[in-house]
Amino acid sequence: MIYDKQTAIERSKLTKSLRSFFEKEKFLEVETPIMVRIPGMEPHLNVFETTLITPNKKTKLFLNHSPELQMKKLLGANFGNIFTLTKTFRNGEIGGNFHNPEFTMLEWYRIKADYKNLMKDCENLIKTLAGKSQITYQNHKIDLKAPWEKLSCEELFQKYCKISLDQNRTFKQLKKTAEKNNFDTKFCKDWDDIFFKIFLNHIEPHLGKQKPTFVYDYPSTQAALAKKSSKNPFFAERFELYIGGVEIANAFSELTDSKEQKTRLIEEQKLRKKLKKTIFDIDGEFLASLESIQQNCAGIALGVDRLFMILMDKKNIDETLLFPLNKILN
Amino acid sequence: MAMTTDIKKGLAINFKNGTWLVIEAQFVNPGKGGAFTRAKIRNLKSNQVIEYTFKAGESVEEAEINRRKCQYMYNDGANFYFMDNDTYEQFSLPSDVIGTDKRFLIDGISCYAMHIDGVPTSIELPPKMDFKVVTTTPGIKGDTATGGSKDATIETGATIKVPLFVKEGDMIKINTEDGSYVSKAN
Repeated sequence: MIYDKQTAIERSKLTKSLRSFFEKEKFLEVETPIMVRIPGMEPHLNVFETTLITPNKKTKLFLNHSPELQMKKLLGANFGNIFTLTKTFRNGEIGGNFHNPEFTMLEWYRIKADYKNLMKDCENLIKTLAGKSQITYQNHKIDLKAPWEKLSCEELFQKYCKISLDQNRTFKQLKKTAEKNNFDTKFCKDWDDIFFKIFLNHIEPHLGKQKPTFVYDYPSTQAALAKKSSKNPFFAERFELYIGGVEIANAFSELTDSKEQKTRLIEEQKLRKKLKKTIFDIDGEFLASLESIQQNCAGIALGVDRLFMILMDKKNIDETLLFPLNKILN
Repeated sequence: MAMTTDIKKGLAINFKNGTWLVIEAQFVNPGKGGAFTRAKIRNLKSNQVIEYTFKAGESVEEAEINRRKCQYMYNDGANFYFMDNDTYEQFSLPSDVIGTDKRFLIDGISCYAMHIDGVPTSIELPPKMDFKVVTTTPGIKGDTATGGSKDATIETGATIKVPLFVKEGDMIKINTEDGSYVSKAN
């Protein structure tokens, strides 16, 4: 194994400048746990499990796949603007250029804000880290001057596939329209499967090539902890940031309605059961803390290794890590 | 025709009117969605590389290909010549089909030829191969400018990054896919 000191130096500099950005923005840095009793309910994610053993008892614990539940509990406790830089873990995903099962996640939450404010934060943060208004990633020049490109899911499906999501709200409709337009929907079991199969093959490769792209207003079926759009509740106030074709961050205007959140968690729990995934309890403390969040707020999770990979112009995420699991298992 | 849902590296598939070799397979859960396999596939005739994302559990048709052991002999710039280990028959493949694998080919080296309908269409190197370091600068202790690695030229003429402790004459193991140093070979 080669331990590349130059890369470690560059990473250390970027991490320092990331912390100083949030310090200037008057965010409080908080530490969130790596082991948790109840992780987020995302139906499709696989988690790592471990067991806490005490003389009389064994307790199942999970490695956190996102610090979002803890961050929202702190929002409920009136912490104001907060950020965390932590390790997160996802099981079942390995290979390719952009993923390590253990990765560094940056999450920040802004009060009196919605997802549009977070788009501005992304622009400012990444421009600050890059230290210039244009970067080169794998021989492609990417212009970082604000404002960055903003395209809704509806616009993207119209632009690249001539399909309206809004006009094809059911599985049957979307399948029929997609097939009429010669898109492959084989093995897709629900509306979201078709959405992703088309998105991954025909839309994602185009994103963030000349400028970083915010893909916003995702279908509500994929809203997780995001608030539904007041203009059209078929969509939710959620965006993902793409740079050079790579997904970098995922953000929400946070849902603070605990009733609606509870309904969604119950549905997601059912779906996990159906998909034969590990079942988690519903985190009552999390639901209770939503009720004490007084203001609108927005939160975002950003894959730090992926962002650094782009800023350091590395082809593979492993090149930004000193101990990538892919190499260790090889 | 055999069907499989196990899309993994090294698998040959019939897809979009061609025969393709899966050269990279990544398991992903995009955003808030289900499981997908993002694959990089290489057309075994044209050598064209494309990316395609399959739904997890999607079954694909396995292609009937034959992997036959062969030996690399020489090249004339435009073509690379090999010999089948069992039949001693010689065959050639154009330089662009060999692609970046040429940096690891030296006379007498063993590899596999992929046959479709009895015709050799491409080669496959072992995932890891041992090579001798021909030239490299001595590693200097505490040299921070080089950042823990230096260049070394191996017997094929290819230059790769190695740790500072590697010396001329050492045998090293190389990952033939990305050309990276794995370990000292012993």
